[in-house]
Amino acid sequence: MTPHLRWTPFWVLFRREIKRYLKVLVQTIFAPMISSTLYLLIFGVSLGSQVTVPGGISYLAFLIPGLVMMSCLNNCFQNSSSSIVSAKFAGDLEDLKVAPLSHTQMLWAFAFGGLTRGLTVGTITFLVGELFFYLTTDQWLGIAHPGWLLFFLTLGGLTFAKIGVSVAFWAESVDQLSAVSSFVLLPLLYLGGVFFSVENLHPLWKSVSHANPLLYLINGVRYGILGQADVAVGTAALVAVLALGLFHLLGLWSLRRGPYGRW
Amino acid sequence: MASPLIVEHLIKEYGALRAVDDVSFTLEPGEVFGLLGPNGAGKTSIISTIVTLERPTAGSVRVFGHDVTREPRAAKVAIGFVPQELVNHGFFDVSEVLSFHSGYYGLAHNREREDYLLERLGLWEHRHKKVKQLSGGMKRRLLIAKALVHRPRLLLLDEPTAGVDVALRESLWEFTRELRSEGLTVLLTTHYLQEAEELCDRVGVIHQGRLKQIGDTQSLIASLTHRQVCVQLKEARLPLSHPLLTRQQGCWLEFQLPYNQNLGSLLLEAGLELSALNDLRITEGTLEEVFRLVVGGKV
Repeated sequence: MTPHLRWTPFWVLFRREIKRYLKVLVQTIFAPMISSTLYLLIFGVSLGSQVTVPGGISYLAFLIPGLVMMSCLNNCFQNSSSSIVSAKFAGDLEDLKVAPLSHTQMLWAFAFGGLTRGLTVGTITFLVGELFFYLTTDQWLGIAHPGWLLFFLTLGGLTFAKIGVSVAFWAESVDQLSAVSSFVLLPLLYLGGVFFSVENLHPLWKSVSHANPLLYLINGVRYGILGQADVAVGTAALVAVLALGLFHLLGLWSLRRGPYGRW
Repeated sequence: MASPLIVEHLIKEYGALRAVDDVSFTLEPGEVFGLLGPNGAGKTSIISTIVTLERPTAGSVRVFGHDVTREPRAAKVAIGFVPQELVNHGFFDVSEVLSFHSGYYGLAHNREREDYLLERLGLWEHRHKKVKQLSGGMKRRLLIAKALVHRPRLLLLDEPTAGVDVALRESLWEFTRELRSEGLTVLLTTHYLQEAEELCDRVGVIHQGRLKQIGDTQSLIASLTHRQVCVQLKEARLPLSHPLLTRQQGCWLEFQLPYNQNLGSLLLEAGLELSALNDLRITEGTLEEVFRLVVGGKV
């Protein structure tokens, strides 16, 4: 294999993924930004004073990391899945199959394309959260462990982008794609501790929550920003690595065996 | 040099349906090969297997010596593929689509070739338009530009002129001739048999998944069809008896003349002197006749 085939196809597809979402900025960046802003305004600023969380931090500070991770994961998933689904509609998914792109190149290009969008929206969410935090407390919310923050955002984002690839490849309609998003991913996200601390839950539900892998990813980001979380950071990191490995394999299998034909 | 394409005992099944049934053929370098057959004959399944959109159930496909299932990337580099269905590329304009496609083949800086193809295929003035804004014919041209952007050595055209107007069809065939003169090997499927006859060095006729006939286009026509010879005499004659005579009406006599027999010997055998003839019309056999005979199970 020539060096050109080793890197160029990956870079070109990655660049295409970024160009694609930049062409529909309102839908891909501004809409998620608005919804994050509303969450912060309603839950963080308006209702936040009536909610207590462990560790003596304000509810707004507790909420910001959760929302950063939620918006990042959602956008990573949506970017890769909508790219594949729209290619199925247009009929150009076959272009990738007939070209000398390896499945690994395709998977990483879709994953990094999704991650770029996820990190963009996550960063904007954090900046909006910072603004609200400053306006309510007169101080900025710092980042306790930038390395861990980047680690969990990156691994979580790549994992969700790869889930998006797999789901979009096997979905036979937009309805099926939406069903996975609405009935699986969204509940796991909401129940993964974005809006509440599992420490406040009944012991039974607390145990159940620990079976949700998103609890670890969300709390990993919370640890990165606040320096405290509901789970140990080492455990969270292990879950993040295992999840990425698992969904990488699933993504590769989907690209090998999944249908490339048009809808 | 390895053959551009070797298909050996290819079988493709979709559930209980056997779409391709033990098909074997080889393409020679620089030839235009036409794969002909009615709808559902298995042409697209064969092409889809060559470009790895489908996996063969059994058999093998090699492109310039590379097995498409074992070394798909090496095989794909050599192939340019024009699919039957038009593609929209929702978000991107013509120029971007061509540039991305070039990049998938490892060619990040291929502007000269991209611009040449845009100009040569009449897409230059449309290069900043979204693909969905193009007419069907323009989209077809873009598919061809995409297939050629990485300078493939084997071009696969699956119904490239389906749904395009006459002028565009002629220009596409002209372009195909030009590509052949540059040494490109071409495998095409088409329903326009007259054009296939003019363009293809060899053809294969496929029906119900099986390759029924394969050979040099003109040789197939010569071996499977006849020339129709119509002779008008100056004066009507009594009924003539000749094994090649198919019809006699008034001054007109109609013969089916095999290609291995010449006109002079026919006239001599039938006792027809040139001075007795008023008119003579010869209709050559066609690929369409070959196609009908093969598909109709008559050969």
